[in-house]
Amino acid sequence: MTDVNPNAAKPAVSSEAPGNPPAPIPPAAPLTPAAPTTVTLTIDGKPVTVAKGTNVLEAARSLGLDISAFCYHPGLSIAACCRQCLVSVEKNPKLQPSCQQTVGEGMVVHTTDSQSTLARKQMLEFTLLNHPVDCPICDKAGECTLQRLYFEHDNADSRVDVKKVEKPKVVDLGPHIVLDAERCILCTRCIRVCDEVAGEHQLEMKSRGDHQELTTAPGQQLDNPYSLNTVDVCPVGALTSKDFRFTMRSWELEATPSICNGCATGCNIEIHHNNGRAWRLVPRLNLDVNGHWMCDEGRFTYHELREQRLAVPTVGGLPSSWDKAVKLAAERLAGPLKDPATVAVVLSAQASNEDNFALARLAAAWKAPLYLTARPERGDRADDKLRVADVNPNRAGVLAIAGAAPLGDLAALETGVNTGAISAVVFLGHDLPVSETALRRLRELDCVIALASHERGPVKAAAIALPIAAWAETAGSVTNVDGKVQRMHPAIDPPGLAVAGWDAVARLASAAGVGKTVAWEHARLVWKDMTAQVKPWSGLPWGREVRPLALRFAGSRG
Amino acid sequence: MSQKVIDALKAKFGDAIVATENQHGDDVALVKREQLLAIASFLKDDPAMLFDMPVFCTAIDLLQWRPVGDRGAPPPGSRPEYDPGEDHDGLRFEVCYQLRSLTHRHRVRIKCAVREADARVPSLAAMWPGFDWQERETFDLYGIKFDGHHDLRRIYLYDEFIGHPLRKDYPKEKRQPLVRRPDLVGDH
Amino acid sequence: MADLKTLVMGRKDVADLDLETELPPELMTVNMGPSHPAMHGTVRIVLSVDGERIVKGDIQPGYLHRCFEKEAEHATYTQIFPYTDRLNYVSPMINNCGYAMAVEKLLGLTGHIPRRAEFIRVIVSEVSRITDHLTCVGASAMELGAFGPFLFFLKVREWLYTWLEEVSGARLTHSYVRVGGVNKDLPAGWAEKLDRRLTEMEGVMVEVESMLNLNRIFHDRMAGIGVMTRAEAIAWGQSGPIARSAGVDYDVRKDHPYSVYPEFEFDVPLGTSGDCLDRYLIRVEEIKQSTRILRQAMKMIPDGPWIIDDGKVALPPKTEAYNTIEAMIRHFKHIVDGIKVAPGECYTFLEGGNGELGFFIVSDGTGRPYKCYVRSPSFVHLSATSKLIKNHLIADIVPIFGMINMIGGECDK
Repeated sequence: MTDVNPNAAKPAVSSEAPGNPPAPIPPAAPLTPAAPTTVTLTIDGKPVTVAKGTNVLEAARSLGLDISAFCYHPGLSIAACCRQCLVSVEKNPKLQPSCQQTVGEGMVVHTTDSQSTLARKQMLEFTLLNHPVDCPICDKAGECTLQRLYFEHDNADSRVDVKKVEKPKVVDLGPHIVLDAERCILCTRCIRVCDEVAGEHQLEMKSRGDHQELTTAPGQQLDNPYSLNTVDVCPVGALTSKDFRFTMRSWELEATPSICNGCATGCNIEIHHNNGRAWRLVPRLNLDVNGHWMCDEGRFTYHELREQRLAVPTVGGLPSSWDKAVKLAAERLAGPLKDPATVAVVLSAQASNEDNFALARLAAAWKAPLYLTARPERGDRADDKLRVADVNPNRAGVLAIAGAAPLGDLAALETGVNTGAISAVVFLGHDLPVSETALRRLRELDCVIALASHERGPVKAAAIALPIAAWAETAGSVTNVDGKVQRMHPAIDPPGLAVAGWDAVARLASAAGVGKTVAWEHARLVWKDMTAQVKPWSGLPWGREVRPLALRFAGSRG
Repeated sequence: MSQKVIDALKAKFGDAIVATENQHGDDVALVKREQLLAIASFLKDDPAMLFDMPVFCTAIDLLQWRPVGDRGAPPPGSRPEYDPGEDHDGLRFEVCYQLRSLTHRHRVRIKCAVREADARVPSLAAMWPGFDWQERETFDLYGIKFDGHHDLRRIYLYDEFIGHPLRKDYPKEKRQPLVRRPDLVGDH
Repeated sequence: MADLKTLVMGRKDVADLDLETELPPELMTVNMGPSHPAMHGTVRIVLSVDGERIVKGDIQPGYLHRCFEKEAEHATYTQIFPYTDRLNYVSPMINNCGYAMAVEKLLGLTGHIPRRAEFIRVIVSEVSRITDHLTCVGASAMELGAFGPFLFFLKVREWLYTWLEEVSGARLTHSYVRVGGVNKDLPAGWAEKLDRRLTEMEGVMVEVESMLNLNRIFHDRMAGIGVMTRAEAIAWGQSGPIARSAGVDYDVRKDHPYSVYPEFEFDVPLGTSGDCLDRYLIRVEEIKQSTRILRQAMKMIPDGPWIIDDGKVALPPKTEAYNTIEAMIRHFKHIVDGIKVAPGECYTFLEGGNGELGFFIVSDGTGRPYKCYVRSPSFVHLSATSKLIKNHLIADIVPIFGMINMIGGECDK
């Protein structure tokens, strides 16, 4: 399971999609010996063996030596323009940028010698010459690479007292991003993100020397769907997100790893939260799923955590208590359950594996048929980078949980509701994109039970609504489009009386008299039952429970 | 330096001494709970040891222990991040006793690691009365029980307090229910 | 007369057993405190008394518990200094110094603090020690009925608080010491002022001593009361004036010297009988020894920086922080991250006004301590007090308690 530390080993979950045939047997090895694929070099007297083609900076980092660098990013091409990572390489009279220097067999590198240390110190001094004294008003303060590198590698006083170069300070680059040109240290990471990650050339540098400035390409705005990644990679506060700027200081934030619930890609993210409220989402490294990036749309999914939340159980739209609500739900279900085929249990591709599994087990105890609800696909979204058309985070999970059991779709559900074949509906989540007539029919049925986090649409129509925790509030998992099961960790507490979805199902089950098989104390016990039952997931570990860490000590920013 | 104290302990008690270290001039020995009383007697009575002054008794809750070096990775050589284990039965608490000898002027710290479900150690208050209240304080704030203590009850907090506040999973801002006082006259 | 003595002093030998039958004594439970003028810093004693004689005393501290340790786990190392002020709040500088020394030890900076800073720390610590002893002796004397010494000593204490206010900005909650040195240099003219006040104080000491030292009532109330044997003092973990009154020759400044104390000539008074009178005499003598240290320090203090010249530990000067990006960044990283202390743990102790004051800090590499435990001498001394007051009269609690000098802030943390 991945966690906050980007240096963590690769996740333990299987990256093969379930049901794929095994890999074919490779042909017999050739008789000539293959060229060596690793290189051994010496850095600061310590030998290290790395794959061929690695740069010296990464080799040093694998030893725990952190050479300062601005423009280098492991997910982007090498620019070597900041000159911050200079090291001494023996037999080479000039200092080399370690990000660009590929390792060579037997190479001897020094990072602590006086010449390269002085060069890196002076490079920082040079970078700071024209840097505005903006820390008190800059969003990046506390997670700023320039602050960190200066403090750790230079920490010397200023030697000059001249007027700094002035550049425009509030430049609207696009719908999401503002540029402060004075703070920019000209590392060109943002330009490379747009070119390489988004595939659109929207940013450029103009002018030269200390007047060099970031600007948009002619006729372009910074509006590609991956534009906010530039804010993440920017080492200083030059690029700021309009959504986040001036809302919260980074040292007040805590970081919790989770999975984006915006679409079926399941980008690994970190929720940055404080005081029970999420303030932004940033991508977390996962080389198998999303690399270093995520799309802009996914970043904004935290807003709905505070919109239209269902915080108390409701009966007929009016607030009630858990005991009363589940008791009433059980009473109302007693009748339709005499013929279980008339009870529709609707799993949701928007909800976690655990919630769906719990509800599926309840349906099995009732022998009621299962249906699947999901938000409609958006073909315009699909691109060859990260975004897919399926905007539901867990369709694959629900399909795996249903397994061999028949899983009706929304059309079948609608027909059943309209014809009257279905007299009771228990549905998970707040998405039931059925027609208006069906919704009207649902409103008339007195046995429609919603287990939802938001009070929207069909939840308002439900006779009884039980509040459940949203994705950022629960320890659970979702399965992405490749069948990879990924763990989410709870960052904030659910509002009011909401509980985890599987817990709500267990309460309903206990009131309905089937509490023996549908009861769990903790999410990891749900996981245990689930992985035992769902064959492709057997043996997957629950992993560590990750608690929120103070952002500045989590090591993921700055 | 009291390296000879550590050496004497290791020589006499063998693998009851789980680990030793010398940090910043402090000699620390992590011992097994079963031998704690024997080790304490030895430290008190042996003429070369003569640890007659109790200094302090406290506990460390390792639940959130996560050493941080550069960029979030743990620094080399530091105690690893606490792993609660599959069933949450890791060695969560370390009960620490610091002792001093007036005659020999050496100091030592004895630690004993316990699990959360079984957070009890033998009390050393009978041997060193100075630990009496300090064990009560550790019980009050951490929930460690001291077997054999003559009067183990809360000391700083009131009796109706729920929980043990210095534990890492006790939130700093947690509120306690108001304590009703039926013995007070009037409407309360 | 004999009957009266029997009544007051408890059961003594009865002349004629046939004429009197002793009823078994019914113990009465009397509550003393927490709101009580003699219960310094709020402590409750639940007394089981047989007449005036205490059979059992259950001392219950904790009324001033302000969660120092829990707060310390959520604050950066520099933010903890104001909390340390409020531990032993009659000698706050010593708490500041002890805590700073503890963090410096974990950082490996012990011995690298500028000499002037060390001298400043010793000077303010000794002034704090004097104020501690003045408060203790003055308050105890007042509780025994001697109101004059109380006023005299508080007058002197106010002079010293005024001097400390000029140094640090506050009479009591100084937060003057920092990791690596002190917050700012001593103000101009500090030495003359201190010297003058110390001389005046010596005059006041003569007056007070003449009022108390040979005073019959004072002796009756203090001598032979609250006796602690040497073995008991050691076993109960006592230190400071209480242990020294029992003959335990232990003073951290002499036995485990720290800072620049080895350079000063001073004596440590040692008592013999372990009673309250010895504790009083030791405290008075310690005031004089502290004065001796101060006079030497005033002459020996060198010029130089008052905080270490290490950008990772000391804040930059404000003029630079506001005007250069370099100092601004350093300021930000200090305040936001705190001083990053490598993972480790250490117990650092010094001689507080009451005895061995220690800080057991566990650091985890971040700018906040993982655990910051205070070994408070008052807490340990108070635990012995329940034994000390046994078989004494209720009225004896006052001198015993006074001379233990239990400071509520330090005891309850």
